[in-house]
Order: sequence, then structure tokens, then C-alpha cells
Amino acid sequence: MGIPTVTISSSEFVSLAKDTSVGKGAADLSFVIVPHPLGMIPLAEIREKADRAFPLIMKAATEWKPEAKLPPIKPIYPAQKLIFEGTISEFNQYLMDKGFSIGLPVIPPTPERVKKMLKGTSRKPDELLGMVPPRMGALTVELVAIHAVMAGCKPEYMPVLIAALEALLDPKANWRGLTTTTATSSILVIVNGPIIYEVGIASRQGAAGSGHQANASIGYAINLIADIVGGSKSPSPDKSLLGGPGDFVAWVFGENQLALPKGWEPYHVDRGFKRTDSVVTVMGVYPPVDNIDHWSTSPEEHVRWWSYLASPLLSIGGPCWISQMDQPHIIAIGPEHAQLISGAGWTKEQFQKTFWEQARIPFSAWPKGCPNVDLLVKRFGPVNADTPIPMTLKYEDIHIVIAGGAGKHSHFFAPFPGCFPVTKLIRK
Amino acid sequence: MVKNFILRKRLFIFLTFILILPLSLSSAKERKQIWEYLNPEGVIKIEPMKINPHPDTLEGKTIMLRWNGKHNGDKFLERIAELLINHVKNIKVIKSWEVAPETVDPIAGSQERSLEFAKTIAKFKPDLVIGAQSD
Repeated sequence: MGIPTVTISSSEFVSLAKDTSVGKGAADLSFVIVPHPLGMIPLAEIREKADRAFPLIMKAATEWKPEAKLPPIKPIYPAQKLIFEGTISEFNQYLMDKGFSIGLPVIPPTPERVKKMLKGTSRKPDELLGMVPPRMGALTVELVAIHAVMAGCKPEYMPVLIAALEALLDPKANWRGLTTTTATSSILVIVNGPIIYEVGIASRQGAAGSGHQANASIGYAINLIADIVGGSKSPSPDKSLLGGPGDFVAWVFGENQLALPKGWEPYHVDRGFKRTDSVVTVMGVYPPVDNIDHWSTSPEEHVRWWSYLASPLLSIGGPCWISQMDQPHIIAIGPEHAQLISGAGWTKEQFQKTFWEQARIPFSAWPKGCPNVDLLVKRFGPVNADTPIPMTLKYEDIHIVIAGGAGKHSHFFAPFPGCFPVTKLIRK
Repeated sequence: MVKNFILRKRLFIFLTFILILPLSLSSAKERKQIWEYLNPEGVIKIEPMKINPHPDTLEGKTIMLRWNGKHNGDKFLERIAELLINHVKNIKVIKSWEVAPETVDPIAGSQERSLEFAKTIAKFKPDLVIGAQSD
């Protein structure tokens, strides 16, 4: 667009800002660094920081010239062969030291193992799936196979893994935001269709937990790729304040299609696919809220309780980040809760509407400094302190999946800002 | 006769144990080997972006101050606006959050949306954009 810029960044985030600019093709940009933090400090301190930064801003505005250059682009295929001599433990330590690990053991990706893994897909090994942010590592099918080996996948998992990665590479998934945020975010992967039974994706008791090889190894491979190919390493550019288990293994489960209430379609049909299609849906999410309800005997009572439990997560949208009110939120309903709801004759839509109408918090709950109050009024209507604000602007953005096995739990997954669910057909 | 057989059997088991023990110990110990493996990092593929030259002076120029919505960023830029107006002749300062509130969003979420924001800001034809971001 031909307009020069000066970017002001706090000292804690300047490395992320620089990495991001390189990832977008600008080897060098004009930055002015101010001491962290800027947010949540008194006005007098902010003005003092601005006064100190002003001479640097003037200098950057009128004297700055680019110096750094981008590295030359190398061939993306085949992957470079490397040699290491040592024991398996030493090999794992070596990978960790080189940044080729996320702290858990891996299986060495030897050429023979990778070749065998590639037999799980008809896709050509040199096919480029896309560039993994923020490092913009070129992700080929061969590179996916390398990570599938490292994570302990079986070759038959490759089509699911590739489809999940294609979904993550869709700009609507906002993979860059997920891997560079200060939030404890993770990737949610929901599998639907016959592939669940063909390759053994767990979809019932404890499906997203331990002990299920397909789910665990696919989830592990996704995060290996995010950290190694995408370069999303803590403490920068992965700025997770605390992090969590989702940084190691993505949440992967199949919808429990066998427990679908009568008349309720599976999630992939809601997403516009046929029942017989095998698909994968990904979405960047915050850690879920567990709805523990052993007591309700009617859908009305259950939804009322549910809406109270989910309400704290409303604070991440609304007048603070208005765009989040356009993002779908996913509720993974446990089969027993689904039976309670549907047993009284409720449709999926009736549950969506009732939950959406009840899961609201008053406008006064949000911090005063939220930046989007005017936009909220423009889109939602006039508000006062007591106005109940919903989590989304329309009830259809409450998405429903039936998940897990026996027990009295359901899970609410709020999206990370900018992350939309992306669904891809699984191609073998 | 029977006692003799039992003694010989016990001796056989003992000797077998003595012989197998070092073998089993050596198999439990990790062995060094040469690992040929494929680099899991992949190569960086970034198309370079043209960087625009900066002006020699801000006098007579239009400066857009861009706030992304992170807390206090607007307060910081408000002060910068005061300083620019006080120190630079004939400067015009535009505040993005006043003229284009739709660009105020702490997490744009996608490159497409970032580009939309950039296009909105470019419509005001600034000579330079000063942006404040991060926490």
C-alpha cells in the first residue's frame, strides 16, 4: 500500500512482533520498544512511557532504513537426511537440544519408517499442504509422515492427520493466533463418519483422554508440527503465560454417533456433509468447562444449571472482543445428558435456542476498559448495566456434538478469538 | 539314584542361569548406533515483502495513529498525538479508533481481516502509520 510504519511494542512482546513481521515477508521493520507492561497500569505511567518513547518514535519515523534480509528459499522436498550416533536416549536428548522435540520422547523418523508411513495415504510426498505459522515452515506430505512416525501414528491414521492439518492451514482456523497467544489455548479435533470405525478413532468412554493410540498419536503429531515446523516455541514466539497439556497433545475425539438421540443429526451433517462422509473439524479453543450435572431431571433444569456454569466464559467476548460474538462455540454433550434433553422431546435446535437465551451475563460484569462498547451497541442494541449479553449474536453459533461415554458430564469449548471451526473431507 | 538326578538337575539350572544372566543384562543396556533420520523442521518459505521508505521529516505530513484495542494503547497514542502536534509544524494527526472504530480488535484473527484493517486505514492516505500493540 506504500505507507511506511513505526510499530510500538512492549519489551516482552517485541520478539514475537519481529518474528511475525518476518513470517509475513518483512525481514526488517521499524520497531520502538517500551518497557513492559502497557496494559493495566495508571494513566500517569502510560503518559510517562510515551514521553520517554517520543524521541525514539521521531527517529524511527524519519531515519529508519531496513538492514536485515530474508534467507534464500531452499527446495522443500525431499527432506534433508541427517546422521546421529548414540543410544536411543541420547538421540531423544539430541532432538530436544536441537529444538526437534516438545519435551516428550519420539520415535526416530528413519527413512524406512517414513516410507512405510507414506503408504497410509495416496497423496504424493512432495505435495505442499501450506506454510505453518508463525515460522512459515513448508509442510509437505512427507513432512507430515515424518512427524506421524515421531508421534507413534500408524500409517492408516495419515488421512485423518492430513485432513486435520489442511483444516488448520485454512486462514479461518487462525493457527497463527493460537500458537502465539498468551492464552492457554489448544486445538480441538472432532472426527465424524465411517473413518472413526475404520481406523479406530476413540469416540466413547474417555475418547479424548489417554489410552487411545489413534487419538493420542494424531494429537501429538499435530503439536509436534506446530512447534517444530511452525516454530511455535515457548517463551517466544509461543507466548503462553502458563500453557497446559493441550500444548503437547491436541484434543482429538470422534463424535459418539452411536449415542445420537433419535432425530438428532451428527455434527458433520450440521456442517453440510453427508452421513456417509468421513470428515474432520478443527477449532482453536480455550480449556473446556465441565458441566457436572448428576441431579437435573428435566431439560429445563439442566439447561438453567448449564447456562450458569458456562457464563464465566462469556467474559472473553462481548464488549472486550466483539468479533468473538460471531464465532461458533462448541458444546460436547455427554450421551446421558443428551438422553435427558432429547427424552423430553427436545430437538437439537430447541436446546441451542434455550441455552443461548439463558447463558448470559449482565453488561456491568465486563471490565470498564473493554474497547468495543460502541460496536456492541451498534450490533446488539442499547445496553445498560443490567442488560443480559449472550455469548454469540445468534443461537446457531452454539454447535452441538455428542461426545464421550457413561457419566453425568458435558463440556463447553469457547473459541479462541479469531478461530472458526473448519471442516475438511478426509481423502485416503 | 533319584537324589543324584535332582542334584544334577539343580546344577544344570544354576549353570544355565549363570550363562543367561550376562546376556540378559547386555540386552537391557542401550546400544549406541548410527541413526539416519529425516530432518523434521522443514524449510522456511516466505515471499519477501517490499518495505516502504520513511519520510525525511514529519513536517506537513499526515500521521495515522493506529490502536489495535489492547488496554491503554489508545492512552499511549493520545500522548504521542499531543507531542507530535506540539513539536512538528503543520502535522495532521488522525486517530484510527475515532475515524475507523471497526479496526479496533485486539486479535484480528486472520490475515484477511488484518488486510481489511490495513485497507481501511490506507483510505485516509496517511504518510506514516504509528501503531501501538501488545500487552
